[in-house]
Amino acid sequence: MIKRLRSFVLPGIALGMLLFSVYHLLFAAERLPKVSPLVEPPHKALASVICGTGLVEARTENIAIGAAVPGTIMEVSVSQEKVGQQIEKGRPLFRVDDRHLKAQLKVHRASLKSAEAELGKLKQQPRLEDLPPSAAKVKAAEANFQKMKDQFDRSVPLFQRKVIPAEEYTTKKFSLAEAEQKLRQSEAEHALLKAGAWLPDQELAQAAIEVAQANVEQTETEIERCLVRAPVDGQILKIDVRPGEYVSSAPGKALVMLGDLTRLHVRVDIDEQDIPRFSSSAKAAAVPRGTTNLRHELKFVRVEPYVTPKKSLTGDNTERVDTRVLQVLYEIQPGTEKVYVGQQLDVFIE
Amino acid sequence: MSTILTDIESAVSCRDVVKEFGQGDTRTVALSGVNVDIRPGRMTLLVGPSGCGKTTLISIIAGLLNSTSGTVNVLGRDLSRMSGSELVRFRQKNIGFVFQQYNLLPTLTAAENAAIPLIIGGTPRRKAVATASELLAAVGLEKRLNAFPSQLSGGQQQRVAIARALVHEPRLLVCDEPTAALDAQSGRTVMELLKRVALQADRAVIIVTHDSRVFGFGDQIIHMDDGVVTQVETTRNTAAAPLYEVSHD
Amino acid sequence: MNWLALRMLTGDRGKYLSLIFSVTFATLLMTQQVSIFMGIVKRSASQIIDMRDADLWIMDNKVRFIDEAPYLPPTDLQRVRGVDGVQWAVRFHKSNVNARLEDGNFRTVLLMGLDDTTLVGAPREMIAGNVADLRRPDAVIIDKAGYEYMWPRQPYRIGREFQILDRRAVLVGVCKASAPFTTLPILYARFSQAERYQAGQRNVMNYILAKPEPGRDPLEVCRNIEQRTGLMALTQDGFFWKTIDYFLGSTGIPINFGITIALGFIVGVAVAGQTFYLFTLENLKQFGALKAMGVTNLRLIGMILLQATVVGVTGYALGLGMTAAFFTYTNRITHLAGLHMTWLAAGGVGVAVLLIILITSIVSLRKVLVLEPAVVFRG
Repeated sequence: MIKRLRSFVLPGIALGMLLFSVYHLLFAAERLPKVSPLVEPPHKALASVICGTGLVEARTENIAIGAAVPGTIMEVSVSQEKVGQQIEKGRPLFRVDDRHLKAQLKVHRASLKSAEAELGKLKQQPRLEDLPPSAAKVKAAEANFQKMKDQFDRSVPLFQRKVIPAEEYTTKKFSLAEAEQKLRQSEAEHALLKAGAWLPDQELAQAAIEVAQANVEQTETEIERCLVRAPVDGQILKIDVRPGEYVSSAPGKALVMLGDLTRLHVRVDIDEQDIPRFSSSAKAAAVPRGTTNLRHELKFVRVEPYVTPKKSLTGDNTERVDTRVLQVLYEIQPGTEKVYVGQQLDVFIE
Repeated sequence: MSTILTDIESAVSCRDVVKEFGQGDTRTVALSGVNVDIRPGRMTLLVGPSGCGKTTLISIIAGLLNSTSGTVNVLGRDLSRMSGSELVRFRQKNIGFVFQQYNLLPTLTAAENAAIPLIIGGTPRRKAVATASELLAAVGLEKRLNAFPSQLSGGQQQRVAIARALVHEPRLLVCDEPTAALDAQSGRTVMELLKRVALQADRAVIIVTHDSRVFGFGDQIIHMDDGVVTQVETTRNTAAAPLYEVSHD
Repeated sequence: MNWLALRMLTGDRGKYLSLIFSVTFATLLMTQQVSIFMGIVKRSASQIIDMRDADLWIMDNKVRFIDEAPYLPPTDLQRVRGVDGVQWAVRFHKSNVNARLEDGNFRTVLLMGLDDTTLVGAPREMIAGNVADLRRPDAVIIDKAGYEYMWPRQPYRIGREFQILDRRAVLVGVCKASAPFTTLPILYARFSQAERYQAGQRNVMNYILAKPEPGRDPLEVCRNIEQRTGLMALTQDGFFWKTIDYFLGSTGIPINFGITIALGFIVGVAVAGQTFYLFTLENLKQFGALKAMGVTNLRLIGMILLQATVVGVTGYALGLGMTAAFFTYTNRITHLAGLHMTWLAAGGVGVAVLLIILITSIVSLRKVLVLEPAVVFRG
């Protein structure tokens, strides 16, 4: 009996091993079941044919305000707490260093004053105190002339009578002529004095005033340029400037970002390969990233007619430009969950 | 097939049996015209020197070899007219073998070894082993039924072999040098056993031997040399052979 | 007769066991090697298998395997999203980067950038930490084998820092992941994080992962994507086989393993075949006696085939069981984890064992069938 059992030991072990290996085969190779993602990715909101990435922006687009002149920031009139607040047009935002301009303004103003004084002086001529001596000079010359005339008149009969020689007569005659000319000279000088400043001189002085005036105004404008103001009514989206910083006037550097947030737009990049399928009348919807069940209905605003090279949506402007996109603007219908300017949305267009 | 009742004298009858091996230059003649008649109920010894052709002759008689020419009639059947599978079935049914080297299966017990021919014939194992056990008791091995061949002496092994050769009650028993590997005492015991158990009125026993010690057991001794029968001695006569059946299935 | 055949076979326990052992050994050798080979090759596509939340992989149409995908322009993501039948699509990044540990050592790691919002492709089975922490700044998650590779013999410590490209990386979790072919640590990070770990590179999206709408045939959606975008879209299985095919076609791995497997087969044939052949030879005399006693050739064939079958089946079962035990045990070792016996290995080796026993049976049978029964008389 034991012997009989013994002959079943090996087949028994073999059967056991076989079952074990079948078990191993069945369960070791078990393929892990499919699971759904931790966060369900956005499903297509519509039975859509085009998808694009949209960037939320203000209705006015986002106005990036920079400095007109390079320089050090002297003061920032809108503090960081003001971000997000409504400001009116013309409100000062920040001021670039303008001290040298102010100094220059003083110089120009002084020049102006000097020019004006010069003109005034010309306009005051002749000086009253100069007239009496001049008149006296005329009178003296006249008196001298009368004296010479009298002497000459006396000598004429004498000469005819040969009382006096011809030489004396001639001397008396030329002395009279000299006295006459001297009288005329003093009369002319007096008349010149009395006439006052010459007109062209006055005009010159007037021009000098205008030059000085222009200099003053230029400097004032420069100073005004240093003070940057809000160009439109809107909300401050971002302030990226602090007193003491040096700013350049290079383009693309937004020190303060302004925008009208009463309505938000979405700028959707549509791949150039999808352009033929795009229709402005198609329904569109946007899904914010990070959520999957929120959906914003979009209203078509306009198409940017120029197909632009795709720009970075990640904020890095050195991103490789390898494709061109059609930019389409949509308005986000109000009343839905808050979205923020600069937020990326997945946009689905029917 | 029908059963034929034949009145024949010989269990085995060979007429002009020639056996050649090989062809061309390598051709050797093992038997050159052998005529032999072997009767049932007798113990026939086939003797002769080594290479005289006696093994070839019994191989032909036992249906293990075909003769090149001549007729071999065993138990009323012409072997040369039988197909290969008929021969196999004929052997299984009618012939018992005892070999010089016993050829017992080493992994089987004595009883199981002795039961092999019955099992080959389709007898259920239990019944076959039971029958074999009875026969082993007859050859004096009732105590070693479950012994393995390696646990038995040569004489005992040969006795198991004899039991195996007789268990299916064949009409012809062919023994090839049954005593050659045994000592004298064991050889005698085996021969006595053959005489006592194997020899029956309707069974022919052929023993090939060159062991002169056992010649005395033979009823008929056929001497062979060089492929021919040189002399047939009949030491004693038994009663005339009875009518017996030969199976033809 | 079957009883006889079995008794002949099992009677000598030593021979019987050595016969079975030789088949067991050959089976073990071949199954184990084939399984390891399949496991190793499968590792080249580990990241594809580990992707449990997306069904479709979309990439440049010239990609040959997973480690070789050029970056795609970001608008491709939107184009794929617009394709009919796509339920959703997200970006995915995969690359090798250098990590510098606290002690200054460098390790190359496999960086996986997951979509920031959805974390599609994130590991699901955490050993320490929490997947959601991946959203923290500079957060990364590493796989178990990777942790042990980067910080050998140290307990899992969340919050440890290291650097990738001079940028800070904070470990927030340790996860389970299928071992990659290169045995590099696998680092999971958000996509934006992965972007920062790439020197001077933007657009680091090299894959788009997508899911077809329910009820749509994924293959059809793949075709749609390919038509509309010109990108290559593959199902998980498709990409898996593409990668496997590449590794099989262009590396020496299949040849090396092929040699080992062939050696296993030869050793199996040599040992099992020879033992069985010798066994038959030893029994030749017994077979001769049986033949003389009237056993037909057909029954002899049956006997030998039965013996061969018993030896083959038992040895095969034992070998298979030992292979299973081997892999069950080695699964606990980090670097061997994930390797297991495969149906193909078990089946293929089954066929090989069948071949071995058939070949040896036929050789043995030839010997027995041509055996002249008269031989039993010629001691």
